[in-house]
Amino acid sequence: MKTSTPTEARAVIDNTTPPKKIQFRKLWQTFGPATIFLAVFLMISAFNPNFLTSGGMGIVATLSAPILMVALGQAIVLNVGSIDLSNASMSLLGAILLALALPNFGVTSPIIILLVTTAFGIFNGFFVAYTKVPSFALTLGTLGIFQSGALVFSNATAVYVSDNKDFLGHLHTTKLAGAPTTFFIGLAMAVILWFVLRYTKVGRGMTAIGLNETGAVYSGLKNRGLKVVAFGISGFMSGLGSLVIIAQSGSASPNGLGSDLLLPGIAAAIVGGTSILGGATNPINVVFGALTVSMIPIANAVLGVNAQAQSLVYGLAIISIAALMLNGSRSGIVK
Amino acid sequence: MANNNSGTISPSANTASISNRINWRRLAEPSALIATLFALIIIFSILNPRFASVENLRNLMDQAALPLIIGVGATLVILLGSIDLSIEGIMGSAGLAFVLLSANSRSESDFGLLALLAALLTGIIFGLLNGLIVTKVKVPSFVVTLGMWFVGLGFATVLYGTETIPVLTNPEVSSWSSTLTFGAPNSFWAAVFVVILGVITLILTKTGRSIMAIGNNEVIARNSGIRVDRIKITVFALAGLLSAVAGIIAAIKLGSGSPSVGLGSLFITIPAVVIGGTALAGGKGGVLRTALGVLLLTVLNNGLILAGVSPSFQSGLAGAILIAAIVFAAWSQRDRLRIAK
Amino acid sequence: MSNSDKNKTIALSVKDIQISFGDLMAVKGVTFDLYENEVIGLIGENGAGKSTMLKILSGIYKPDKGTIELGGKTLKLKSPEDANAAGIGVVHQEQSLFTNLSVAENMDISVGKTGSSSLMGFYNWAKVNASARQTLAKMGSKLDPRTLVGDLPFVDRQMVEIARAIRVGEGANTKPVVILDEPTSLLEPHETAVLEREISKIRELGSVVFVSHRLDEVIRVCDRILVMRDGELVAIRSKSEVDQNELFRLMVGREAKSEKREYRRQNQGEAPVVELKSLTKKGKFKNVNLALAAGEITAIVGTNGSGREELCKAIYGALPADSGKLLIHGVEARNWSVPKAIKLGFGLVPSERKVEGMVGGLDASSNLSLIFGKESTVGPLINTKKQKAVADTWFEKLDVRPKNPTLELERFSGGNQQKVVMAKWLKSEELELLILDHPLRGLDPGAAATVNSLIRQAVQNNTAVILLADTLEEALEMGDQIVVMRDGEVSSVFDLHKEQPTSLDLLEKMV
Repeated sequence: MKTSTPTEARAVIDNTTPPKKIQFRKLWQTFGPATIFLAVFLMISAFNPNFLTSGGMGIVATLSAPILMVALGQAIVLNVGSIDLSNASMSLLGAILLALALPNFGVTSPIIILLVTTAFGIFNGFFVAYTKVPSFALTLGTLGIFQSGALVFSNATAVYVSDNKDFLGHLHTTKLAGAPTTFFIGLAMAVILWFVLRYTKVGRGMTAIGLNETGAVYSGLKNRGLKVVAFGISGFMSGLGSLVIIAQSGSASPNGLGSDLLLPGIAAAIVGGTSILGGATNPINVVFGALTVSMIPIANAVLGVNAQAQSLVYGLAIISIAALMLNGSRSGIVK
Repeated sequence: MANNNSGTISPSANTASISNRINWRRLAEPSALIATLFALIIIFSILNPRFASVENLRNLMDQAALPLIIGVGATLVILLGSIDLSIEGIMGSAGLAFVLLSANSRSESDFGLLALLAALLTGIIFGLLNGLIVTKVKVPSFVVTLGMWFVGLGFATVLYGTETIPVLTNPEVSSWSSTLTFGAPNSFWAAVFVVILGVITLILTKTGRSIMAIGNNEVIARNSGIRVDRIKITVFALAGLLSAVAGIIAAIKLGSGSPSVGLGSLFITIPAVVIGGTALAGGKGGVLRTALGVLLLTVLNNGLILAGVSPSFQSGLAGAILIAAIVFAAWSQRDRLRIAK
Repeated sequence: MSNSDKNKTIALSVKDIQISFGDLMAVKGVTFDLYENEVIGLIGENGAGKSTMLKILSGIYKPDKGTIELGGKTLKLKSPEDANAAGIGVVHQEQSLFTNLSVAENMDISVGKTGSSSLMGFYNWAKVNASARQTLAKMGSKLDPRTLVGDLPFVDRQMVEIARAIRVGEGANTKPVVILDEPTSLLEPHETAVLEREISKIRELGSVVFVSHRLDEVIRVCDRILVMRDGELVAIRSKSEVDQNELFRLMVGREAKSEKREYRRQNQGEAPVVELKSLTKKGKFKNVNLALAAGEITAIVGTNGSGREELCKAIYGALPADSGKLLIHGVEARNWSVPKAIKLGFGLVPSERKVEGMVGGLDASSNLSLIFGKESTVGPLINTKKQKAVADTWFEKLDVRPKNPTLELERFSGGNQQKVVMAKWLKSEELELLILDHPLRGLDPGAAATVNSLIRQAVQNNTAVILLADTLEEALEMGDQIVVMRDGEVSSVFDLHKEQPTSLDLLEKMV
């Protein structure tokens, strides 16, 4: 008897990505980030041999620490098929609140800040999951609110940590192989998140949602709760970003360190092999992504390109890697 | 809000009565916006008499001009169901291209009208790239335009280089936007012109009606023989062109070139489009509605500042309004199985 | 064909059309003529190839072989646009109007360049409205062309679709050829009468290809009837020489006979596992009462649009019902949702396997342990070794190939995917109800046999089963009771242990 309706047959043809492309994508997601990192690294070393001897990698690791934090959060949100445009501004607001809180609450203030930013993330996730608004629009809105918050709490100027700043400062000044403790905290978080995605039900559930939300729901996964968790993690990582900002600069200002983390964060996640369509990320590769992104200003400088033009490179990287990974994989409607 | 899902069986009504009835429901939304606008004007006038002054009115017109121009492009893109986040980047690039090719403090080589054309072309190229990548490579528009935002900023930064600030030296050019014609600043007239063109495009052209059709249901649009890709590319290019227009006017207002000339524009435009009642899902809304949204937000920002509220609250307010508007619009469709990314 | 055909003008001539999808030849050399001022019916079972044939005529699919001539000229249909430009208008099964545009615009938007009411890309609104009004008037409709389609009731939208199809023909300066794809399946009886009147109006203006599953209607409306089966055109009959019974036979291809049952009822007289009490979802199904017993297969049969798919989704918690009750072991289910249904031992094998049935990008063993994964998890953690071991046993048991459960599920063939999807549910000892929505769709005979034996195995474990079968024969072979649905309602229930209906008996209750 009829084994297949024609429409289904056609659908099958449409949805099947050629095995070669799948292979390429898998290879890319596994080895691509490290390869790109190595390529940029070698290029800089070739043009400027001093880079290796003068502790250039330590500087890169230092620069990458805040980017790594928001990039890991972004990777988790991208993995469920959403995006968090508010995470960088959340980091900055967190940093300003932390600078204000440190003199009064001392050692407990980092914990307070982490709780606050996690709550912000959960707020984002709650709206995305339960009201079904597109995440880019919702987080664009909360981005504005956090920006305002940063301006209002800081009175639009730099806030210096007046007291109790040393214990956080140590995270920046204590170094191992030239890299600050903050970078290693990021590295540890990457390993933890990698474990969560690979070996826990929550992690697998998030990946399943990113791959095929309908199928995941029909398999009984709680899609809304899992999205809230993903955005919550993004909030928590933004909070760690706040800690790094304060540790590195001892101050926070609405246009200082951290005010333009959004794009490097997204770029690091994508260069790190995270799919913008969801369902594919490897937090450990995101570390390579963050390091690569942090080398771009240096690479620009050795190539003689205006170092300020880095956003051009970030933008191109996002578009071209997204295009590279998507090409031919979709035949449906793209909005 | 009207729920235009195809396939829903609307309550059986007498056909004759439908045809003769004015659709109050459809008028209710804009009316509410106009009422809010007037309420705000009255409240702010009471709070600070300077609000209602002729001088502030001109101020308001000048402030509304850029978001009105960008808003037209953004509306067309959103009506398709897509999004354009590259506004600020294109503004930066086009604005700077214009300044550097006009008479400025760095060089005396004045290309006159050609400078204007080159700047507009810059915007069109960025827009075309957006459209081509979305339709041909099938990368979602929010990613493409997010990337293009920063490509635009980066390109502007490269143009800017490391030399001194390029200041417009021709006073005729640098004063153009604030010069009054028939009592209103030129920038405002430019905006009015663009809005009228936008309305004509959307209501009177085949392209405009196809935009509405694609936003309503892209699959049906394709099956009805509408050239979906071509129209999408056109619309993105148009949005790029309008961002360039806004970038040029912004540079003129500033009197000099700067990559960040568009800073904050995205933040007033997208909320304005959404408040106006254009649905992010596409197919519903219009240019005039966006104009109302822009006026509302401009009056709100201007009035709050005159009332003594710190400008630090501006982006937060726009953000909160954006969230309220999208949540309100999506509320009726928050079914568990509906997929929203 | 009779002699009287000679003095008629041929409007559309289809010659030797053929198309394949992969290994499946969906249309095998179909040839027929459509005369001017004629209505021909196209009938066939689900999957007989009639929808594909329509999609070829409307330019959505390009045939591998064969020609289409319109008014003596050979058409090259590369897109729906080409079909429109040639004057072929299509009324799709799902409504395909833009709800945010007016009636007149909807009618104008598909019209080819020559007939369009726009100049240099600018709309002439007066002309758009006037020509729409004119076409509507020809159809005897007084709809205001300026009304938004979203504001119209269903039956009026149908009129707009038909009027649009006619406008397409007028725009191409030919007599319109209108294709109607199951237009009545969602209409109420009185609305169907309106549509039939509309079709006889079109006959005066041009010609019609009418696809329907309601045989009485086809005989009433059409001049000639084309019957398709397995991709072939098996018969052309003029309406005067056939009756419904003959059409049934031609469609099904053989005399329907009742099959000998291979197994016996497991349980008798026990309280049902699940009971539905006047379950209703507006526009989908209404007042459905059903009792599902442990160890019994309930096959639900019905045409497209009978509401049986939606009913299954409602039972599984994926589609909230508007009213009525769902009782599980006599207790009413409240706040029904998918996670809750799964917790209480409900399972669903959906027909849209790739979209709903599995997470293709995840490896097969993970897909297996998404549900009832307790054996391979420790608290919130996953024991991947254990998970693989569990998957290995099931791969062995069901002969899933390749025998590598760590591969992404999307890389397996359809049959092997379906085995994994079935295994996902069968793993549980406490499965109370398994809902199978076209479980054999897209499977080769070998895989189909395995899946069928898995269904029997579930029954042996005392699971109640709901089966939406691909064919009536399959339903008759597998079911303990057969529930026939028509237009959202249960039209009849057969207990196969007491009576032996034939597929003709079932069809009669379906259409």
